Amino acid sequence: MMQTAAYLTAAGVFAIGLYGMLTQRDMIKICISISIMDSSFVMALVAAAYVPGGAAPIAGFEALRFVDPLPHALALTAIVIGAGILAIALALTVAVYRHYGTTDIARLFIATREDS
Amino acid sequence: MESPVIRVFLTRLTAGFLCLLLSLGFVVLLLDAGRHRAQTIPTQMEEPYTARSVAETGSINVVTAILMDYRAFDTLGEATVIFASVAVAAAILGKPGSPSNRTMGLLSRRQLSALLPLFFIFPLFVIFHGHLSPGGGFQGGVSLAVLVILIHVAFGDRFGEEVIPHRILALSEYGAAIGLVGIGFVGIFQGSAYLANVAAGFPRGTAGTLASGGVIPLLNLLVGMKVAAGLSSIYVHLAGHEAENVPEKRR
Amino acid sequence: MALDIAFYLILAAILVSAFAAIHVRGHLNAVIILSVFSVLTTVKFTFLQAVDVAMAEAVIGAGLMTALFVTAISKTRKRTWRAR
Repeated sequence: MMQTAAYLTAAGVFAIGLYGMLTQRDMIKICISISIMDSSFVMALVAAAYVPGGAAPIAGFEALRFVDPLPHALALTAIVIGAGILAIALALTVAVYRHYGTTDIARLFIATREDS
Repeated sequence: MESPVIRVFLTRLTAGFLCLLLSLGFVVLLLDAGRHRAQTIPTQMEEPYTARSVAETGSINVVTAILMDYRAFDTLGEATVIFASVAVAAAILGKPGSPSNRTMGLLSRRQLSALLPLFFIFPLFVIFHGHLSPGGGFQGGVSLAVLVILIHVAFGDRFGEEVIPHRILALSEYGAAIGLVGIGFVGIFQGSAYLANVAAGFPRGTAGTLASGGVIPLLNLLVGMKVAAGLSSIYVHLAGHEAENVPEKRR
Repeated sequence: MALDIAFYLILAAILVSAFAAIHVRGHLNAVIILSVFSVLTTVKFTFLQAVDVAMAEAVIGAGLMTALFVTAISKTRKRTWRAR
């Protein structure tokens, strides 16, 4: 039950992030949407690792069942790579602002059309 | 030719429909995978790692054992991604220009200069106890990067550049990358796989002590160093410019 | 049982804060709500027994991402105040 709710939340967060990425016009807001979408995949991985009644994957605990540690390792890598993606997206945003003086996508189209 | 309001509305409707469809697919896929997993023997998938890892690697924290031993090659690839993102950010943004001298207020600075050494306890604990408690190279390295950013923000970029020069950050990142690759080759020379741990003759130690887990603490340290240097040098590149040379006609 | 209810409340708060982070007006408000979203995600991961992931999410989502976003926002905004 908890696992199903966690899956549904991950899907909802994914939908919210994708909708924001498709409809927002500002590049900073698009970066925020990207990081929210990235977070939804981490949520899905952690929800997939959950075992009802399982303990955290530290071998010192005396427990009958542990949650699956493998998706946790994948999720850690995904989080750090998400930070790298975000850094590149923000660097692109700053570079675009430095060149065109705006971060609004619609104005950016007009500015690039003027250039060509 | 419809009016712009209707066009925006139609665009949002299409986007919302697409998002709902995709997330529905997401849910169906995940629930199907979960049901498939529940039909197999329930604890079959997680038992091997949690049961084997202490005996095989000497690391109490199973996630660190997977990251640094069983799948250390993935960690190397992940470190490469950080390296690439630093390189791309540097290529996009160019060399950091003249650092600004904007600082926080006097009270914050006095307080931070007393408290800052204490803040370093947490990342170092997380890195060095990565195989004993939750945490590891990534978490400790990112907290170190956040502390470097704090120094830059609180005391000004010029002071931060004096205390932790950009050259030192770059050199420690290269050093950690070379160290990671070099430790991997030890496994090959010992007649085992690349980045092998106990199989390559590293001492396992008694599980639960600080000097256990073979090469895992060393890899944690190197990964932490690399992540800290990489992410804080991304910040240095991002903050190293003033937004003053914007073309005038576009403002 | 109380823990279950807290878990579902946190899931609802995650959805609300994700929506608010994208649709709120103003960049800085959005970034602060994004860091609230990360902290709520951390609590959720702790409920699901993923301690390592929770720690990474706390450090990266609430610490590093906020710093990078605020830096980028201050670089993509017309200068209204000068350095002291």
